[in-house]
Amino acid sequence: MDSTQEKQQDFGVLLKQGAEGRVFVSTFVGRKCVIKERFSKKYRHPLLDSKLTLKRLNAEARCMTKARKLGVSTPVLYAMDPLLHTLTFEYVDGLSVKDILLGFGSNGVNEERLNDIATQIGNAVGKLHDGGLVHGDLTTSNMIIKNSTNQLVLIDFGLSFTSTIPEDKAVDLYVLERALISMHSSCGDVMEKILAAYRKASKQWCSTTNKLAQVRQRGRKRTMIG
Amino acid sequence: MKSFSVSGGRSVSLALFSDVSNSRELLELMQSGKLEPEVAFINASLVPDVFPVLAAAHKALLSQGRESLTTRTLHSELVYNYSGSKHITESLKRCGIYDDTMYILAARFDPSDEELKAVEKLICGTEIDLAELETRANQPQILKGPRLKSERTDGSMHIMMWYRIAAVVLSKESMGMKLITYPALQLFLHTPVRLHNCHYPGSCIN
Repeated sequence: MDSTQEKQQDFGVLLKQGAEGRVFVSTFVGRKCVIKERFSKKYRHPLLDSKLTLKRLNAEARCMTKARKLGVSTPVLYAMDPLLHTLTFEYVDGLSVKDILLGFGSNGVNEERLNDIATQIGNAVGKLHDGGLVHGDLTTSNMIIKNSTNQLVLIDFGLSFTSTIPEDKAVDLYVLERALISMHSSCGDVMEKILAAYRKASKQWCSTTNKLAQVRQRGRKRTMIG
Repeated sequence: MKSFSVSGGRSVSLALFSDVSNSRELLELMQSGKLEPEVAFINASLVPDVFPVLAAAHKALLSQGRESLTTRTLHSELVYNYSGSKHITESLKRCGIYDDTMYILAARFDPSDEELKAVEKLICGTEIDLAELETRANQPQILKGPRLKSERTDGSMHIMMWYRIAAVVLSKESMGMKLITYPALQLFLHTPVRLHNCHYPGSCIN
């Protein structure tokens, strides 16, 4: 256990801890960076555990670079360590969309700003989906508005995967819709604005929005009977 | 030479030389392994910024610490890592120096003062400021590199470019995932098990 604790100190200041990993703020060759560590689960068979952890680590790195290729800004990947199961990213300086929307109406967050953010979200998601990438965890806390450029940066591709099926894309949008309803109902209908931008950005919007209507009726999980 | 600390108390010193006249000798010395002190030479027209080099250096030090260097020495590993490809000969050819290379970036890990002077003596050329890298970089040449063509080029060109290089240099580990050996894993793998093909309960539920 001693060695793991030493490693922890190496990573820097703990920022967040989740079920699958920890996120630290640190420096990478003189630059501020974020280190995401996927720790191993002791309750799993060690062989299965290391396979799964590595697979997810690789998948995340790959999906992030793919998103970048599709023209959606994501933090830059600086380094990846298959032994310690860490990814090192650029530190994006800015507030999460969640915090901005929660401050709606008070901290100078006006209708105009809201529209801009919603348009950017719609554009980004549209680009991802057209390129066959599903984010998997679209919530407002996984989006950051960069302070310097007011540009939207998508983070956390840990659940993302490639798919061209409208069902997956619709579920992706549905997750975002649920997140918006539960957290930000005071902001008005943000989802409507996001979808409007999504329709403009995506060429395959038609099948996705049709599917979205179905998903809304039955929820995120498909019933699998028979 | 300017020193940059990389990780774990180790540093790398970089110096940029233009109008180098003895690159043929340098190449011969290097290939015969008689270069003293050992230095990494990078074709500087492929370097738009210091940061990707530092990122490559970070990776080289990491693999040295684990005794998993892909190439023979730490310094050749730096050139290899910088290329963003997994082909050793290709990357040394592309990012290393030629008989007639005039514009060279020299790198040395943890140099002492004497070594620094020796390096400066070794290269017959004029040392220029590292800030020149950005203006002298050959962008079309850089964009020919592996996995760079398909990337989008909007926003500030310079920043985008070196960010992407850093990403490529380092994400190749994930790209070539099948080729990596995992020492930790080999402890468990007495017999080859193809885990990704087996279904455990729950994997088929949507």
